[in-house]
Amino acid sequence: MTSLAAMSLTLARMRRLLMVLVLPLFAASCSGSDVDISNVPELATINTAALETLLAESTTPVIVNVWASWCVPCRSEAPLLEKAAESTGAAVLFIGLNVRDDQAGARGFIAEFFSAAPIQHLFDPDGGIPLELGGSRGVPLTFFYAPGGELVNLHSGVIDERTLALQIDEILSR
Amino acid sequence: MEFSLLGAVFVAMVLLYVTLYWEARRGNAVSCSRNLWDLALTAVLVGVFVGRVAAMVDAGVNPITHPGDLIIIRGGVATGPATVAALATAAWIGRKELWPVLDGLAAAALAGLGGWHAGCVVRDACLGTPSDLPWAIAQEGSAVTRHPVEIYAALGLVIAAAAIAVWRMKGRPAPGMPAGLALAAAGLARLATEPLRPTLAGGPVGWYVAGLLVGVGLVAWRGTQRHLE
Repeated sequence: MTSLAAMSLTLARMRRLLMVLVLPLFAASCSGSDVDISNVPELATINTAALETLLAESTTPVIVNVWASWCVPCRSEAPLLEKAAESTGAAVLFIGLNVRDDQAGARGFIAEFFSAAPIQHLFDPDGGIPLELGGSRGVPLTFFYAPGGELVNLHSGVIDERTLALQIDEILSR
Repeated sequence: MEFSLLGAVFVAMVLLYVTLYWEARRGNAVSCSRNLWDLALTAVLVGVFVGRVAAMVDAGVNPITHPGDLIIIRGGVATGPATVAALATAAWIGRKELWPVLDGLAAAALAGLGGWHAGCVVRDACLGTPSDLPWAIAQEGSAVTRHPVEIYAALGLVIAAAAIAVWRMKGRPAPGMPAGLALAAAGLARLATEPLRPTLAGGPVGWYVAGLLVGVGLVAWRGTQRHLE
């Protein structure tokens, strides 16, 4: 019984320790950091027809990732997309579609998370394109297209490495 | 919002709990199974927290300036740091009866891990590299059939969990040996299935090898201590 009581006490202490560890992290969310966006060009505005033409004329598979600077999950998956764009090189065209955002926010996000990635970022301030492509208004969204513009898969929400690698494999096999 | 991860977590927790309950009724429990359950959950929570922070740091996201990202588990959890943190937590909480506690968790932890992998059915994330084997399956709309790699891992882990539970009942191994075997089995299951997983840059194979070697070493060491017990 003594060891049971000791174990319960230790568990209670662990819970308190977890709170002590987590609370300062959330408190720190009030602070921010400025990012230099002078090296990031303005994003070109695009409409659905132009994007569909781009997809139809592409001779390589295309991944369209829909993101916004205010989207916390987008920040979480950005390093993975950057790694994927670098590892696939010219075999896959990566397009980042920024939605319902402003230029300053979008450029700040690119400077912070996509600075080195070969990703072509486009601007859709109204956020209507993903809906017209068959998606939703939620972000992040990731569309996977075969060469010629055939939609192979649509992933809603944060994408993980396994899913991204599997879908890249799928569109490369078409 | 996505809830498929929660579904996989639920499958893992059910298998963890059922194994603890099943073992307790057969005399394998070191203390009451409820305490082991609390201990296991605490260890898993600490492990996921540490693993998530490590994954964020690895991805270049500062956990101090972006603390909200901590809850986006799908964004990645670093396997190695998470496992070390979970094991260290379990060992620290149960330090007064270290080997019995770790042995008591061994089979249940493996079964829970197997449940997490089997939860790929809920997450729609079972598929691996292409294969022509009769049981290979394709994702919807695809002509490419693939290994159900997460099901392989789940089967391997659940079989290992069952073997350890039976060994504890029938064989009466030296304290620490089941825990070592469980660690080795977890490392081996991931190592063996890793070549069948689609990845961008390869999995954390070094951590799997380390788990396997530490586990085998623990089994060997505790085996030599048997006569001293």
